[in-house]
Amino acid sequence: MIKLIDLKKTFNGFPAVNGITLKVEKGELFCLVGPNGAGKTTTIKMMTGLLKPTGGKIIIDGNDLQEEPLMVKGIIGYIPDRPFIYEKLTGKEFLKFFAGLFGEEGKTVDDKIERLLNLFELKEWSEELIEGYSHGMKQRLVISSALLHSPKVIIVDEPMVGLDPKGIRLVKRIFKKLSSDDVTIFMTTHNLSVAEELGNRIGIINEGNLIAVGTMDDLRKMAKGGGAYHDMPLLEDIFLRLTGGEELDEVIEVLR
Amino acid sequence: MNDYLYLLQPRFKSTLNILKRYNTDRLVKTVFFGLLGILFWIGIYIIFHRVLLYFRGVQGIGDLLSERLLSMVFLTFFSILIFSNITTSLSTFYISEELNLLLSAPVPQERIFFSKFIETMTDSSWMVLSFGLPVFIAYGTAYHSPFYYYLAIPFILLPFLVIPSGIGITITVFLSKILPARMARNFFFLLSIFAFIILYLLFRFLRPERFTDPEAFGSLVGYFTELAIPASPWIPSYWATKAVLPLLKGGGEGLLFYFLMILSTALTSFIIVGWVSKKYYYDGWARAQEKKSTSSGWKFMESFLSIIRKPQARSLITKDIKTFVRDTAQWSQLFLLMALVVVYLYNFKAIPFDRVPLASFYLKNLISFLNLGLAGLVLTAITSRFIYPSVSLEGQAYWIVRSSPTSLRDFIWSKFWTGFIPLILLAEFLIIVSNRILNVTDFMMALSTVTIFIMTFGITGLGVGLGAIYPRFKFENAAQIPMGFGGVLYMILSMVFISATIVLEAWPVYIIFWVKFIGRALRPSEILIVVLSFFAVILLNFLAFYLPMRIGLKKLEEREI
Ligand SMILES: Nc1ncnc2c1ncn2[C@@H]1O[C@H](COP(=O)(O)OP(=O)(O)O)[C@@H](O)[C@H]1O
Ligand SMILES: [Mg+2]
Repeated sequence: MIKLIDLKKTFNGFPAVNGITLKVEKGELFCLVGPNGAGKTTTIKMMTGLLKPTGGKIIIDGNDLQEEPLMVKGIIGYIPDRPFIYEKLTGKEFLKFFAGLFGEEGKTVDDKIERLLNLFELKEWSEELIEGYSHGMKQRLVISSALLHSPKVIIVDEPMVGLDPKGIRLVKRIFKKLSSDDVTIFMTTHNLSVAEELGNRIGIINEGNLIAVGTMDDLRKMAKGGGAYHDMPLLEDIFLRLTGGEELDEVIEVLR
Repeated sequence: MNDYLYLLQPRFKSTLNILKRYNTDRLVKTVFFGLLGILFWIGIYIIFHRVLLYFRGVQGIGDLLSERLLSMVFLTFFSILIFSNITTSLSTFYISEELNLLLSAPVPQERIFFSKFIETMTDSSWMVLSFGLPVFIAYGTAYHSPFYYYLAIPFILLPFLVIPSGIGITITVFLSKILPARMARNFFFLLSIFAFIILYLLFRFLRPERFTDPEAFGSLVGYFTELAIPASPWIPSYWATKAVLPLLKGGGEGLLFYFLMILSTALTSFIIVGWVSKKYYYDGWARAQEKKSTSSGWKFMESFLSIIRKPQARSLITKDIKTFVRDTAQWSQLFLLMALVVVYLYNFKAIPFDRVPLASFYLKNLISFLNLGLAGLVLTAITSRFIYPSVSLEGQAYWIVRSSPTSLRDFIWSKFWTGFIPLILLAEFLIIVSNRILNVTDFMMALSTVTIFIMTFGITGLGVGLGAIYPRFKFENAAQIPMGFGGVLYMILSMVFISATIVLEAWPVYIIFWVKFIGRALRPSEILIVVLSFFAVILLNFLAFYLPMRIGLKKLEEREI
């Protein structure tokens, strides 16, 4: 469903994404994890057409994003890391506007908007201007907007940031359900427990390089190859080992 | 005392930070506005100085005239100050963002109140004060006053300024008890804009430039002797006048009495406002925080917009209109626009054509022609304020359009049409009404309406296009957008383009009028020139409209966010 082929992005000579090749199957929930500045957001922005790759290709549902941008964008639901939206619209107006951008309108869309507003507990606020919303409410509104046009692929950057525990649980459940309905989800996070819980497969990215890809089991095997870890290491251990973050243990020592 | 001043520190510090972050762009602007201010200042000084010297020369009633002028100045200050204190305090006391923080912090309410009082007073007084300064200096120099006149002025003014602040804030506190502050603010915002327009129009109708002509002074004397100035001894402006007057001539009788009147009233009003706000302020503030829900009066507009076929374009246009209407800072500028239009049209009424009856026929048509250029400039000013920023106004939410399957072509064209439709209506209105007032020939009328129609395409296209070439998605304040490089470039290019259009048209129009004047037919070569020039005009306008839009689209497509 999603194919990234030797995807590269440099900013003034600095390689933020350094040749990523990756395949995500239909209905799969893929988690890209990595420390801050690893290149997660950059990868996502290239996949949604906000950044132009310096090299490589992005194929989604068989179409090259560079060649058929509008067609590809039409089947994607994108949830950015920060929910900047039009403050002077009401929640409901925003969803209507968003549907319009995807060329969708009419009764079916209106019904779907109502259902999404109920689902994300925004109904009560739907006639209020967004400028009065809290960060979490905006985040929930953006998530509902991304689901509005029934996308085949959902691309999410750090979805849990700014949500309360209830919101996090809701989003987790929705993603699981969508994935079981054959929607492909590509998600980044630096929250390892989320990746461990949700991801069918997990990719670990560091300094622009994809250093490991696989199921939790695959990753465990990979990490064990090095030796020094427990039999059933958590993703956190694997992650720290692979991204060279072991000095964190020292930090914890100091804090004791 | 230090504790109180402490709360003013954020304001003070942020001002300092602005000063620290000086760049050349800002420097140029400051120098420019600084010079403009100084010029204005000198102008006020010169006018007052001359008027006062003239008054002093008038036998018998000279001093009385000066006194009346001074009491009028103080009365004007006093009423403007009350008004501006109301509007300022609505935002400093009720709407300002930091209030959430302040009122929940463990700071005594009196202290918040005091710092807000000072903030309100300085914010609303500095402008009036700076207009007042040249007036007081003019009085001093015209009367050869002793140095202590200048020293005493600040001591009289400071308590004087406290009184309207006290009155204004009290009115605000009571108002917010009755009305939600947001509504009250919008209401007063409108009122203050109207007041500004009326003041401006009054100023225009008074035609201050005629006071540079000594003969006009005679009528000024008549005006002042007949003018019934409310000089009740109970108005603080009366006390201020009475306190300043003896100082002018180096005397001092009555000074202490009136000074004490002002001082005690200032203290009383300060105490009253403190008491009133203690009783009512918190309630009103809490009410101001309630968000009102939006009405659904948009049905009509939405059904009207349904003539647009593409849902993408329709969505974008609907969104832009709603955002515009709901943003007070945006739509309120329409009132300034109205004032501009009224003054513009009034100027045509004011031109004394009757004085030059012979030339008037050609003069009128010539002016109607120049009118095109002038209207073009007005449209440029409006475009730079309202249409040029339209792409940038997407702001940080631009990712929505960019990651959606809406083509940037639809995006930029929706921006074009949202700007073009209102602009063309305004343009034709300006041209048709002003030509009516001028009573021009049918030929000029037709030529102007067609030309402004074509020109509006160019003006709008240039605005939207340059706005897309130099977008600023990260702005703090929408008013900054047209001030950047692209905005200035737009103004320059648009003026060049308008002048070029006018020049290209002036030539054939001149030939046509000249030929008519000497009563012969057009020669073939002249016909060729006429036709070629009109083609050149059309080509120029097409380029001004098409090229920026095209380049803008390309730049947007290349742009990463
Ligand atoms: N627009 C940009 N210009 C220059 N450098 C950038 C830009 N965007 C991201 N970077 C750099 O690219 C690297 C990857 O950033 P990002 O993809 O945002 O990381 P993250 O994995 O935390 O989302 C960082 O070092 C960041 O500083
Ligand atoms: Mg990121």
